[in-house]
Amino acid sequence: MTAAPALILRGLGKDYGERTAVGAIDLEVARGECLGLLGPNGAGKTTTISMACGVVTPSRGAVEICGASLAEAPFRAKALLGVVPQQLAIYEELTATQNLRYFGALYGLAGARLAAQIAWALDVVGLRDRADELVGRYSGGMQRRLNLAAGLLHRPELLVLDEPTVGVDPQSRNHIFATVRALRDEGMAIVYTSHYMEEVEALCDRIAIIDRGAIVATGTVAELVAQHAGRGLELELAGEPGVLEAAIARASEHAELRRDGARLHVSPHRDLAPVIAALEEAGATIARIESREATLETAFLALTGHALRDAS
Amino acid sequence: MIGAAIVKDTRLLLRDRGALISLFALPIVFMLAFGSIFQFGPERGEPRAVAVWAADGDPRGAAIRSVLDDTPGFVAQARPDADAVRHAVAREEVAAGLVIPPDAAAPVELVIDLAAPEQVRGPIQGALAGVVQRALAPPPPTQGPLVVATSPPGLARPLEQTSSLQIAVPGNAVLFGFFIALTVAMAFVGERKTGTWRRLLAAPVPRWKALLATLVPYYLVGALQLAFLFGVGALGFGMQVAGSTLALIVLSLAVVYCAVALGFLFAALGGSEKQLGGVASVVLLVMGLLGGCMVPRMVMPELMQALGLAVPHGWALEGYYDLLVRQGTGLGDVALPIGALLGFGTGFAGLGLALFRFEK
Repeated sequence: MTAAPALILRGLGKDYGERTAVGAIDLEVARGECLGLLGPNGAGKTTTISMACGVVTPSRGAVEICGASLAEAPFRAKALLGVVPQQLAIYEELTATQNLRYFGALYGLAGARLAAQIAWALDVVGLRDRADELVGRYSGGMQRRLNLAAGLLHRPELLVLDEPTVGVDPQSRNHIFATVRALRDEGMAIVYTSHYMEEVEALCDRIAIIDRGAIVATGTVAELVAQHAGRGLELELAGEPGVLEAAIARASEHAELRRDGARLHVSPHRDLAPVIAALEEAGATIARIESREATLETAFLALTGHALRDAS
Repeated sequence: MIGAAIVKDTRLLLRDRGALISLFALPIVFMLAFGSIFQFGPERGEPRAVAVWAADGDPRGAAIRSVLDDTPGFVAQARPDADAVRHAVAREEVAAGLVIPPDAAAPVELVIDLAAPEQVRGPIQGALAGVVQRALAPPPPTQGPLVVATSPPGLARPLEQTSSLQIAVPGNAVLFGFFIALTVAMAFVGERKTGTWRRLLAAPVPRWKALLATLVPYYLVGALQLAFLFGVGALGFGMQVAGSTLALIVLSLAVVYCAVALGFLFAALGGSEKQLGGVASVVLLVMGLLGGCMVPRMVMPELMQALGLAVPHGWALEGYYDLLVRQGTGLGDVALPIGALLGFGTGFAGLGLALFRFEK
């Protein structure tokens, strides 16, 4: 008999009054799989994750964690789940050990078992030698690592990480990367959201792209790129700033464009001729045209119409 | 899990100097300040001086001075002439003055600041009118005192010696005891702000338990705070407990229940730390003022006295006053204030539950 998937979302949706934040999401995460959840701000990422973790009650649909229904057996389901919120959900006035003692108690851990789990979690995130220091004295990166330790303290089957590397130094970022990789290799299923596309690309086995409250695509990086991204084109423009503004506005009527200073990225699968014609008619000079390799970013752009970081 | 929350919140509180000062140190300072304000009043055996002038050889002057000196709370001070009496009152050297005119048919002049509040002026004016009446028309010597004060049936006899701290200690204990409501509300805001509330909701913990885990530690802190304040009052300031200590404990537990429930209601109403710090503080101060924490309700006008019972502070002080001042007051005697506090608390908690949003 095969084990139930680590996470199943079936028709999961949330309405806030008249507004639908998440339509009806279907998603499955296999045991030991690392799934990246990508989406611009306001796409419904956090709401989806919050519903999956039992923090927000869905308006419709169902959540199953390792075969346990979150609606019917919430405590069993939540015991199998670890959450690392985007906020630093730790107490700065306590030491790392004191923090973990409290969070461990929430999962029914006590005594020697709790002590052993605390030691393990602090080892995993590389904070054992700072265990009895006040968290307020930690660097931002160390606090992020403790935030992660609090989520995996009870060795969950499924770990949900919401933007775990926001505002951290490169050293801590690399440490968090290494920790997530090690946990995945040990068989822990992981749902990872990030604004850093390269993080998701490097860590995740599969990626789900969410936009306007719906999953618009899922697959491996290769699959997403093959299906949704062609070779992109980059135009370098020259001319007076006012002229460029007008030219770009005019060209935008013919294709979705992303601007980076005087450079213009044209979405794949678009006919370039009317764009060039519009730019030249408006007085802009095209200094250079370059072909770019298709990437996850171009796929994301094609699917959502937003650059991930521009949207954040 | 609630035990872990108690340990956690106790540690957090011990590291929060601001909260420690406002919960434990500030009330002591206020008790001393309020105690000192009343200490020099008449109830501490410092009699009020009354300036008196009568023409040399006028027997009425000697009679009035004699009765005045025999009246508890007053002492006569002779002045060389009528104007000296009037100036002494105007310069606030004395509480009032009596000018006995040479013409026996003319009324005695009671010099007092008529702009003083009725509550302050009235008792002095009444007492001095009585003094003059007794001096000029004394009762037959065999009759004894004209008036004897007694407590009506149902009201226990008060302590012989009471100090202003019998009022200042419970007044400030209740005022600052209710400030735990602000601490409770701030705790909810803090948990939401840092995301620890989110972590709590994601844990395999029933939501009612998550609420209790946040409220119970503050209930214990509130109980500890009242024990500390009454302890300092009794051991440090000589405050006496005239009634049952058990009743005092039960009443205090009811006060803390009500205060924590009010804090939960504040949290349910929402708002940022800034908003809570501003609005809830003012609400608590106004409640304390109405309830008689700063000025005893017994000296307030009738309407304000009635309004005082519209807030839990008023009921708490009703109970504390009986327990600290009236000898033999038992649990049954303070059942009504305890019931009122439990009623207020349950109302606050019920309203809080109806308004509280777990998933905000």
